[in-house]
Amino acid sequence: MALTHSKRPWTFHRFIRKFEPFFFISPAFIVLIIILLYPLGYALWLSFHTWTLRTFKQGIPFSDIQNYTQLFSNPDFLNALRITLTFVVCAVTIELILGMGLALLLNQDIKARGFLRALILIPMMCTNVVIGLMWRLLLNYQYGLVNYYLGQIGILPVEWLSSPQVAMWSVILVDIWNTTSFVALMLLAGLQTLPDEPYEAAKIDGASSIQTFTYLTLPFLKPIILVVLLWRFIDTFRIFDVIYLLTAGGPARVTETISIYVYRYGFQSFNLGVAAAASFIMMLIMLVFAALISRSIGKEE
Amino acid sequence: MHRRNYHVLKIASKIIIYSLVVLAVFLSLAPIVYLFITSFKEPDLTFAIPPVWVFAPTTQNYNEVLSSTNFSKYFMNSVSIALITVAIAIFLGSLAAYGFSRFRFRGKFWLKMGALVPQMLPPIVLVVPLYVLFNRLDWIDTRQALIVSYLTFTIPLSIWMMTGFFDDVPIELEEAAMIDGCSRIGALIRVSLPLAVPGIAATAILAFIYCWNEFLYAVILTGREARTLPVIITSFMTNKSILWGRIAASGSLVLIPVIIFALLAQRYLVRGLGKGAVKG
Repeated sequence: MALTHSKRPWTFHRFIRKFEPFFFISPAFIVLIIILLYPLGYALWLSFHTWTLRTFKQGIPFSDIQNYTQLFSNPDFLNALRITLTFVVCAVTIELILGMGLALLLNQDIKARGFLRALILIPMMCTNVVIGLMWRLLLNYQYGLVNYYLGQIGILPVEWLSSPQVAMWSVILVDIWNTTSFVALMLLAGLQTLPDEPYEAAKIDGASSIQTFTYLTLPFLKPIILVVLLWRFIDTFRIFDVIYLLTAGGPARVTETISIYVYRYGFQSFNLGVAAAASFIMMLIMLVFAALISRSIGKEE
Repeated sequence: MHRRNYHVLKIASKIIIYSLVVLAVFLSLAPIVYLFITSFKEPDLTFAIPPVWVFAPTTQNYNEVLSSTNFSKYFMNSVSIALITVAIAIFLGSLAAYGFSRFRFRGKFWLKMGALVPQMLPPIVLVVPLYVLFNRLDWIDTRQALIVSYLTFTIPLSIWMMTGFFDDVPIELEEAAMIDGCSRIGALIRVSLPLAVPGIAATAILAFIYCWNEFLYAVILTGREARTLPVIITSFMTNKSILWGRIAASGSLVLIPVIIFALLAQRYLVRGLGKGAVKG
């Protein structure tokens, strides 16, 4: 009898059972490996080679770590790194604060909350190209509505996009417009799942609303805040479209983030080896920060 | 006396809350409304200072956009690329999501995390090697090049969003169907899939919007043939001048479907975004 020979007969049925989950998940993963890992590996290879539009037909010579060393002595690249970090820190901080305010506001007892939430969602879904160009029109020095209405209340016109001192803040402003709703809606979803009991207890104990916020709401929301922080960090770090259409990295490179730098190096001067190296450095920096935030998310859970 | 003070305070706080909400909604929507209004202005009114709010609307900008630039061809590019991408991503993604949601197996956590990482990748990192590889395949300026590129972010998005939605469908219903003689595939198709439809639809909508909005891959990997609408909008910025009327009109045409879709799916979108999806 076949069954008595072994306790766990290796039947076709058992085989199917064991590999059933992989039947479901492997198609997606096979496709992802082909379209992601292969290009990524190729990019890594490319970053150690010289590829230019003029020379690639004759061959792609190995250039050792030259692309990398060249980048770290390139003031434009270091500038792009600095600009990106400034942008990330300022934009994300302001968005988190404003988003929290907006979430608390929408969490009040207001009518038609669902409808208002839907309206506020719109900016984050809009096409980035349109957002960039629309704000370029609004912030136009001579003809822009923003300067006109500021003028009406007695404020002198501002060179939003052409002054090196202001351009970075304009880019941040547009990003705030674009994504604060994301922060707010995520936090609002969190606020609506908070338990009632601790709040009632705090009320009985006579806690002020600031105390309740710091000692109850913030700790409760911490996991969600970290998730929002992670996604906002990633999105601001890799930002391209909006800035490209608002300022194209100018004036005088004060808004040239790494993505724009790589674009310029790769697809305007067609030096793809250097572009690949720069994008790899960018990715590594990003993954380190993302891993740090993810780790604290893991700790929370 | 005390009671009345309390009442006044309550009304005052209501007024403050509502006016802040109105302000937030106004700030969110005013730029978009301004874009729509501008798209109906005569070119010489676009830059009128003080701004003109009452005018006879004209469809001149739209006529120019629709006639001058092969707009319908590029519209079809955008639609077909987004639809094909979404169909593939939803098919592969829902299978994988079902697998993650219904089975316990070794390495599940790491595979799931592995599916999250691609969504974090900056597109500029991928577009450099993709450009060289597509160049070699002679795929530059083809729709399949964009479809492949867009799958890199829509498949992970689908896996993550739909795993969450499948988790919400109780497994007991499926088990009951399987006891009644359904196969697993049968139970998936007859029981879980219909219940997960709203979630799948929301995922499809979000993935469609991301493809529809995408710019970086489109501007680098396409030329005259396979361009999509976001690239066409930027073509109204020439070296000599920026044709704001046409930008406003084409921008409005691109935004309208996005806004309709976003409003239709908004409830699920917020939930789905919480499940690990993010603007691509």
